[in-house]
Amino acid sequence: MADRLLFSKTGRAKYISHLDLMRTFQRAFARAGIQIKHTEGFNPHPFVSIALPLSVGYSSQCEILEFGLLDGVPAEEVPQRLTAAMPEGILIHKCYPAERKLKELASINYIMNFEYSEGRPQECEPAMQELLSRESLVVKKKSNKSKKGFTEVDLIPLIRSFNIECQSDTMTLDAVLSAQNPGLNPELLRAAFCEAYPDYAPDFVTFHRREVLDTDGKIFR
Amino acid sequence: MNRTLEHILPKVQKPARYTGGEYNAVVKDKQSVTTRFALCFPDTYEIGMSNLGCRILYGLMNEQKDIWCERCYAPWGDMEEEMRREGLLLYGLESGDPISDFDIIGFSLGYEMAYTNVLNMLDLAGLPLRSAERPELSPLVIAGGTCCYNPEPLAPFVDFFVLGEGEEVTLEYIQLYQQAKEEGWTKAELLEEAAKIPGIYVPSLYDVSYNEDGTVAAIVPKDGAPATVTKRIVQDMDKAYFPVKTIIPSTEIVHDRVMLELFRGCIRGCRFCQAGYAYRPVRSRSPKLLAEYGKAACQDSGYQEMTLSSLSSTDYPCLMELCDDLLDYCAPRDIGLSLPSMRADTFSMNLMERLQRVRKGGLTFAPEAGTQRLRDAINKNLREEDLLNSVRTAFSGGWSGVKLYFMLGLPTETDEDVLGIADLARKVYFAWKECSPNKARGVRITVSTSWFVPKPHTAFQWDAQIPVEEYQRRVNLLRDALKRDKSITYNWHDPQTSYLEAIFSRGDRRLADVLEHAWQNGAKFDSWSEYFDFQRWMDSLEACGLNGDFYAHRVREKDEVFPWSVPSVGVSRAFLWRERELCYQSVTTPDCRTRCSGCGANKMLEGGRTCG
Repeated sequence: MADRLLFSKTGRAKYISHLDLMRTFQRAFARAGIQIKHTEGFNPHPFVSIALPLSVGYSSQCEILEFGLLDGVPAEEVPQRLTAAMPEGILIHKCYPAERKLKELASINYIMNFEYSEGRPQECEPAMQELLSRESLVVKKKSNKSKKGFTEVDLIPLIRSFNIECQSDTMTLDAVLSAQNPGLNPELLRAAFCEAYPDYAPDFVTFHRREVLDTDGKIFR
Repeated sequence: MNRTLEHILPKVQKPARYTGGEYNAVVKDKQSVTTRFALCFPDTYEIGMSNLGCRILYGLMNEQKDIWCERCYAPWGDMEEEMRREGLLLYGLESGDPISDFDIIGFSLGYEMAYTNVLNMLDLAGLPLRSAERPELSPLVIAGGTCCYNPEPLAPFVDFFVLGEGEEVTLEYIQLYQQAKEEGWTKAELLEEAAKIPGIYVPSLYDVSYNEDGTVAAIVPKDGAPATVTKRIVQDMDKAYFPVKTIIPSTEIVHDRVMLELFRGCIRGCRFCQAGYAYRPVRSRSPKLLAEYGKAACQDSGYQEMTLSSLSSTDYPCLMELCDDLLDYCAPRDIGLSLPSMRADTFSMNLMERLQRVRKGGLTFAPEAGTQRLRDAINKNLREEDLLNSVRTAFSGGWSGVKLYFMLGLPTETDEDVLGIADLARKVYFAWKECSPNKARGVRITVSTSWFVPKPHTAFQWDAQIPVEEYQRRVNLLRDALKRDKSITYNWHDPQTSYLEAIFSRGDRRLADVLEHAWQNGAKFDSWSEYFDFQRWMDSLEACGLNGDFYAHRVREKDEVFPWSVPSVGVSRAFLWRERELCYQSVTTPDCRTRCSGCGANKMLEGGRTCG
């Protein structure tokens, strides 16, 4: 099977799009002098694949990239050498042979920070509790496949667990969300909250991926 | 990262353009440097990051311990709107600090249609537009690039212009600035001293007076400023800085590959071409050094593509040797090598097969004119037979598309010349029929015409741009002539921007008011159709009491005082006039390797060396 990298994408690197990130990895492997497998075919190029693309602007400490390490560089040297060849904000933590299938990656732990520059309203915590404890929460989601341009999706079954913590000007939502088939982009939670409770809409929300988990809720690698 | 910026970025398109942090971006401790430089490019990140000159200056400034050079590009409209709403000032990409706090703000000017972006960026930085309204020593606002050979429309906004190649003069004026800062000089004192550095043109040290007919009466230097400012050149290309280790963007840019600069200048002497005159004399890098640079740049960047750049790459004397050397490195690593700026007469199958092993897409040639007579008149020195041989070679080798570039409105052009373009395109089509090994694939021949813009410091600096109705008539003539040829596509350039280019490229200082007026009324990104508004410019000209036709469509007298009389590219006015006369006799001038025509540029080479 393939090799994997565990990496984080934070700070300025948050704004690198998925496609640009793949290109950045292809070039970084070359810069670092790490030989990797190429695709076959008419126009061969270095093969890299990133599991579960991260939205632009989100940070993450648990991104997984698949590739094929060719003989030459020991796996334990890869993180340090590759990190040195990366733009600011991308850190490679680990390089290891893949042992599990990516489809076993079932859920993602997101940390969402709701920021209130003028101070957090007391009521936003019970409001969020109420929203996420509903029987169902159907929202419209943009879709290119649907003729109407959107589809309807119920968020509640896609939320595995959540916890809310508040400070004077922030509310932090720590939530485990379905990762794939279908996955839940936490932006939909933000939008649903702002729609249900416009008075408690935050000034800004940050999104961070803290961990990827398997069906048992254990760390996936 | 700045909190305001972090809140803005999720709302704008392609936010990676505004963050910095790319591989090889230089971050220094601001306490440890004495001079902070904002290298500004008045267009988008994608275009500015593709500019080799900026990469050279960025690299060589940051090699200096006491200088920190950062980059700054024009934000796209959505970003500008957010910045203005949130009160976020234009900032350097490396530090995120407002460029108004920097010591020097330097613009790269390559294109007249970017002028309004210069004004817009100064405004976004929170600075007054006009030099006179910025009495403090810093930030100093300066500019370099090809437009500086006639920078007059920007004269009131910019403290000084740097003419020619910046490798040496940049460090010279920074040193002067550092001295000025230490010793507490006024800005006026600094500018007076700066004017003594060869290649630096301080527009405020010249009084321009006008005749009643609107032409320049005199340009009088004051406070000891020189009557002529000659551009700077690098004497020895092998000793010049080359950016082997350079910023690799994390998002896609226009020229996203290793750029290897073979040589500067051009031996050809096409009479319409400003670059051909302005970059003289010809100076080459040695092939051995280039191969080393190329390999090292691929290694450091991880790029899978390299392009050999110059004004006319096939005129590089050791091209084959260099290509072979580079291919030995590139081929096993799947790195593609491309060669733009090829002349149609020197195209060789041998070369093309080495370069484009995979993709056989289109080829582009620029005959510029449709008949031999007119090609001789503009000194393009390309023979029809050579072009046809080249396309025959290409078609036989499996290429199935050719793009042909021409200009309409060149001096002495007649209808016969216009129709000659159609004839030439048809001959190219017949060459395909004759040579293509696979006719079932069909052929794509594209003819593109632009509206000729006479440029300063060329043989045609005296000539008029033809009126727009006449341009349109010639377009229609050619379109009708090509109507029945199904395999030939005809595209023509929109005349509105060409008209404005013609005004500003040979404009004087009075046009500064037009720029400011247009900018106040929303002009920016004028080379982008999303923003360009022709009527706005017409209104601004009228509001300022100026007539665009005066600049674009007027033939100049032989001895007229040009607004660009002070800047010199090292080519004599007498030579340019001689070239113009030869044009009107349809007589060619040989290329610089065949025979020196005495343009004067070789005088810039130290030690009596010859061009090459």
